[in-house]
Amino acid sequence: MSGVSIEVIAQIDALQADYVHALDHRDFQGWVDTFDTAPDTAYFCISAENADSNLPIALMYDDTRERIEDRVTFIEKIWSGTYQDYRTRHFIQRTRCKKIADNTYAVESNFSIIYTPESGRSDVQVAGVYQDEVVINGSGARFKSKKAVYDTTVLPRYIVYPF
Amino acid sequence: MAELSNFGIVWPKNINEVPKEVFVRKDLFEVEQERIFRGPEWHPVAHVGELPNPGDFKTFPLGTVPLLITHGQDGAYRVFYNACSHRSNQLETATFGNKTEFECPYHRWLFNPEGELIGCPNSKEFSPGFKREDYPLAQPRMEMFCGLIFVTMRAETPPLDEWLGEVKSTFRQAMGGDGRLKLLGYQKVSYKTNWKGYNDNDGYHAPLLHTAFTLLNWQGGQGRQYSDLVRGHLGFEADLSPVPKSDMIKDHSLVEYKGDPANMGSRLIQLFPTMVITRHLNIFNIRFAIARGAEDTEVHYAYFCHEDDDEEMIKHRVRQASNLLGPCGMISMEDASIFHRIHIGSGTPGNAIFQKGVKSFDTLPDDIKQNDETGNLARWEYYRKVMGFERAQS
Repeated sequence: MSGVSIEVIAQIDALQADYVHALDHRDFQGWVDTFDTAPDTAYFCISAENADSNLPIALMYDDTRERIEDRVTFIEKIWSGTYQDYRTRHFIQRTRCKKIADNTYAVESNFSIIYTPESGRSDVQVAGVYQDEVVINGSGARFKSKKAVYDTTVLPRYIVYPF
Repeated sequence: MAELSNFGIVWPKNINEVPKEVFVRKDLFEVEQERIFRGPEWHPVAHVGELPNPGDFKTFPLGTVPLLITHGQDGAYRVFYNACSHRSNQLETATFGNKTEFECPYHRWLFNPEGELIGCPNSKEFSPGFKREDYPLAQPRMEMFCGLIFVTMRAETPPLDEWLGEVKSTFRQAMGGDGRLKLLGYQKVSYKTNWKGYNDNDGYHAPLLHTAFTLLNWQGGQGRQYSDLVRGHLGFEADLSPVPKSDMIKDHSLVEYKGDPANMGSRLIQLFPTMVITRHLNIFNIRFAIARGAEDTEVHYAYFCHEDDDEEMIKHRVRQASNLLGPCGMISMEDASIFHRIHIGSGTPGNAIFQKGVKSFDTLPDDIKQNDETGNLARWEYYRKVMGFERAQS
């Protein structure tokens, strides 16, 4: 974390907290709001197996802001009423933070998600690492790109919500 | 009074009914492994597009039997049992990779990708007459169609061409016409469902389920569904009308077809017991399913591009495949949820009853409409016979 001020770290941690809070409260507009508004803002969710072998297929491939917004439509409109719902709890641990350009930081964090289906027990859904690019401007920190690389070679069930 | 047959299961008299207990009875699983997965059937294990370079390998199980598939230095593809020819220690643990040799860590026996034993320390102390050439990696029978590698553990399985029966033409079209496909990546997931529940519902496409079709005002075109009456392999061919632009989603490229309009239709084949292969919009998708247990079915969705694609087409395929199909796909996440719910619901007594398209209670249908449920019936009849369940007389 050398060379990154405590104020910057505080803003990045606040962003991570907003991200977790939004997802775990199923506030998907709040989730979208953690991303930068530029059209090329990106969110990816890809298996480590694919990523390590340079295989581009992802579980979620939202390489534009429009596709990030479309994901909310999938969840709230298109899939509504078809899936067995589940609660999520994200646990995040920041492990790296480096300045890569003016007001731009590369942040790496371990994550795990505990999920609890309706009438079910709690289990680990997935574990992995977030590889994020965070921009900080007057209105605070936002994800310019966020890549959730998940270790879980075989997912334990179908996936509704972003990692 | 109905006659009791194997496992005490009474198979209903009507051809459109399946006893729900076959989805949930754990005692059937081992018998299915023996009669079906290790039985006289062909099982797809890899496509050559997953192993483009000499030394590339993939591990994949046939039911509970671990396999190692290799691309040899001589260019040939081979399938081996993934076990050392000495004491049967699992030889390779990675899901895929590239190696010039495979070493068993137990006694350091060394094999090349062609399966030959090329090294074994201390062999002077081995049994009388020991020769390395007598200990290659063992192999199941193997054949290929459009680059898809099939294996069978039985000598009496008919040749693959004969086994595939009527679905070959749809199969070929689903594989881009020539099978010259290149791997783009995987989505792997475990479904809490019996393999038959997965199979019953992944190929068969209930349009009522898919809200996306309605919301996008996406009308399917004319199409046909047909079933091989021996094993119940199933083929679907449907014209596809372009999806109208709508305000529902902002990125229309997700449902946009690019390329030669002649290849726009969707193609899907389903092979007994568990294989689904589809070409949908610009997606090539092979679904390798593994029956891990009575209520555990693992599916590896493998996505491909064509070898002749340019960079722009590859990018389009990646963006479309990642977000449209699979365990989190805009269209098929709903399928996945049905696999779970069918399994839970099948714990109730009685029979699952097929309705749409049923015209007779005692004859397999030979005319199946695009969205009929009857395409599944020939497969159930074959399963019933293989498992030795007798039909009730009344």
